[in-house]
Amino acid sequence: MSAACSDSGGAGKVIADPIHGAIHLTQREVQVIDTPSFQRLRGLKQLAMAQSVFPNATHTRFAHSIGALGMMNRILGAARENGIEVPSEQREDLRLAALLHDVGHYPYSHLMEKVDSVVLTEDEVEGAAPPPREIDTTKTVYPRHEEVGRLIVTSQRDLIDAIGGAGHAKTVADIFTRTGSADPQLSKLIHSSFDIDRWDYLPRDSHAAGVPYGNVDIHYVLNNLRVSPEKIVGFSDKALAALEHFLLGRFFMRRVVYYHKTVYGLEEACRQLLRRLRDHYPNKYKIPLDGSAVEKLVRSDKLHSFTDAFVDTIVRKAAKHPGDDEEDAAIRALARAIHSRKPPKLLREVSVYEDRKHHAGTAFLQRCRSDLKKLSTDFSIPLGQFLLCSPKVELVRVPPEYSATQVTRLTRDDVTARAHKEEEEQIWVFRKDDVEPTSLLDFEPSLVSQWAKFFFQACRLYVVLEGPDADDKVLRLRNTVKDWGKS
Amino acid sequence: MDRKQIALKLAADGLGLDFKIGSFRDRLILQKAMYLVQAAGVHLGYHYQWYLHGPYSPSLTRDEYAVVADRAQGLDDSKGWTLDEQSRKRIEDLRVLVKPRKRADLARDLELLASVHFLITRQQVAKPGDDQQIADVLKRFGKDFGREDVKKARGELSERSLL
Repeated sequence: MSAACSDSGGAGKVIADPIHGAIHLTQREVQVIDTPSFQRLRGLKQLAMAQSVFPNATHTRFAHSIGALGMMNRILGAARENGIEVPSEQREDLRLAALLHDVGHYPYSHLMEKVDSVVLTEDEVEGAAPPPREIDTTKTVYPRHEEVGRLIVTSQRDLIDAIGGAGHAKTVADIFTRTGSADPQLSKLIHSSFDIDRWDYLPRDSHAAGVPYGNVDIHYVLNNLRVSPEKIVGFSDKALAALEHFLLGRFFMRRVVYYHKTVYGLEEACRQLLRRLRDHYPNKYKIPLDGSAVEKLVRSDKLHSFTDAFVDTIVRKAAKHPGDDEEDAAIRALARAIHSRKPPKLLREVSVYEDRKHHAGTAFLQRCRSDLKKLSTDFSIPLGQFLLCSPKVELVRVPPEYSATQVTRLTRDDVTARAHKEEEEQIWVFRKDDVEPTSLLDFEPSLVSQWAKFFFQACRLYVVLEGPDADDKVLRLRNTVKDWGKS
Repeated sequence: MDRKQIALKLAADGLGLDFKIGSFRDRLILQKAMYLVQAAGVHLGYHYQWYLHGPYSPSLTRDEYAVVADRAQGLDDSKGWTLDEQSRKRIEDLRVLVKPRKRADLARDLELLASVHFLITRQQVAKPGDDQQIADVLKRFGKDFGREDVKKARGELSERSLL
C-alpha cells in the first residue's frame, strides 16, 4: 500500500502517510487543514478506547481525514485511467468533502454521539423501578455527526473562508451529508458500503491495532473501477474476491477490535456514565443537554475544546462524585473504571451467528432482565454497576425484509424509501460484457450474497467492581449466571 | 419493543389513535400524526423526508411494523411506561386535530397539515408566506389542495402554535 497520491492541482504540500504514501494537498486544502475547526480533529482518537487493549491504536480523526482525501484522489485517478473524467470543479468539491467528512465527530466519536440510545440498566431490568416509568421526549436527540459536520462547515467562519465562501461550503457539506442538491453518485463515494471512508479506516485501523484484517487489495479493486452510462460506480467481476475480502475484513475488524470485550465494556461504561451525568446532573458536568445544545456548542468558539479531553475531564471529576445513594455509587464506580483502566468484568457472553430475531443470545438477555434485580440485591451491588449489551455485526447492511403480507400493503413511499436505502448500501459489480451492473447481493457466485442475512451478535453481561473482595465477587457472580439463558 | 417504539405507542395512545397499519390510509394517518406530534416538540426521534405523500419517515414505518408484530403476539411493553408531563400535555393539545371523523377525511386533513408545515419550516418554497406557491408545490405531487386549503391549514397550525 504505497501508491503515491498525486494531483495536488497547484502549489500545496505533501504529507507522508503510512497507508497511501505521499498525499499531495492543494493550497486550499492546506488552508482548510490549518483552521482551528479542522485541527480539533487531532484531539479525537479514531478508535476511542480501543487503545486500552491495542496500545498503538492512538491515531486520530485528523490522520483519517487526510487519508480519506488520499483515498478520494486514488479513486479519481483510477476513474481517469478507466476513461472516466470528472470535471475539475467537481474533483475539488469531492476532495474537500472527503477531507471534511468527519469534521463533525463528537468526543470519543460514536461513543458520545450515541448517548441518547443508551438504555440505563435499571430501565431495562424488571422490578427495578415502580411503574409508571417515564420517557422524556421534550429534548431533541443529539444530531448525527454528519449533521454536526454540516453545521460546522456552514457556520464556522474559519472554515467558510478557507473553503472559499458560504456557497462553496454548502456545496461541500451537501456532498458529505448526501442532501438533495448533491449528485447522488458523487455522494456515494463519500458514504456507502464501499466508500473512501471505509477504504481508509479499514487499512488504517488494522495497521494501528496490529491485526491483519485490513490488508485488502485496494490497487486491484481500483484498477477494476467502472462506471455505467447511467453513472453508477461499480467494479468489474474480476475484482469480486477482493471486494469480498474487503467486506469480510470489515466484519472481522468489528468482531475483533471495535467490539472487543474489554474495549466495548469500557465504552459502554462511559456511555452509561455520560447518560447518567447528563440526565441527572445537567448543570454540574456541563454535558450538552440535548441536540439543540450540541448545535449551539458547535456553532460557537467552544467547538475547539470539544475533543476527547472534554470527556476525560468529566470522567476525572465524576470519579470523585459525592453522595451516598446507589446512583452516586454507580457513577463513581463507572468513572473510576474508565479513569484508572480497570475495565468492567465480563460475567457471561452468549455469542451467536444467526439470521433470526430470537436466539440463544436473546434468551440470555431476557433472563438477565428478569433476574438481574435479584442478583444486584443478593450481592449488594448497585444495579447501575451491571452493564447489559448486545453488539451486532453484519457482513453487509441490508434493509429489513418485509413479509409477504406486509409487501402487499407497502405504499409507493415505502418502496421508494427502501430503494434509496438499498441504493446507499449497494456494491455494484459489472459482469463481463454487461453495460449496467448487478448488485453484489444478487450475484450468485458471491459468498457475501449467500451470507448477507446472517449476523454475529455478542450478548454480554458485565459488572464494574472495585475493592479488595472484587475478584472473589466476580468469581461468585460468574458461577451464579453461568447457566442463564440455557434451555 | 425498544424505548423509541414504546414512546411511539404512547404518543399514538395519547392522541387517541388506534395503532392500525392495515391499509395505506391507516399508515398515512399514523405517519402524519407522528410528524405533527414531533412538530409540537415531542421528540420521538424520527427523521422525516419529503416523498410522494408529503413528509415520511422510513424508520417510523419499521417501528410501526415492530409494534404491531409484538402486539399480535400479545406483547405490549408500553404498559407501565408514560411520557413526561410536558409531552403528554402537548399531545393532549393535538387531539383536536385527530378527532373522530371519516378515515378518508382524517387522512386528507393530516396530510395537508403535515405537508404545509414541512414546506414552510424546512424552507422548501422560495416564499414560505405565499399560500399559492405552497399549493403549487402540492399540485406538482398530484394533490388537489388549493390556496384556500393551504391558508386554512396555516391558520390551524398557527392556532396550535406549530408555526
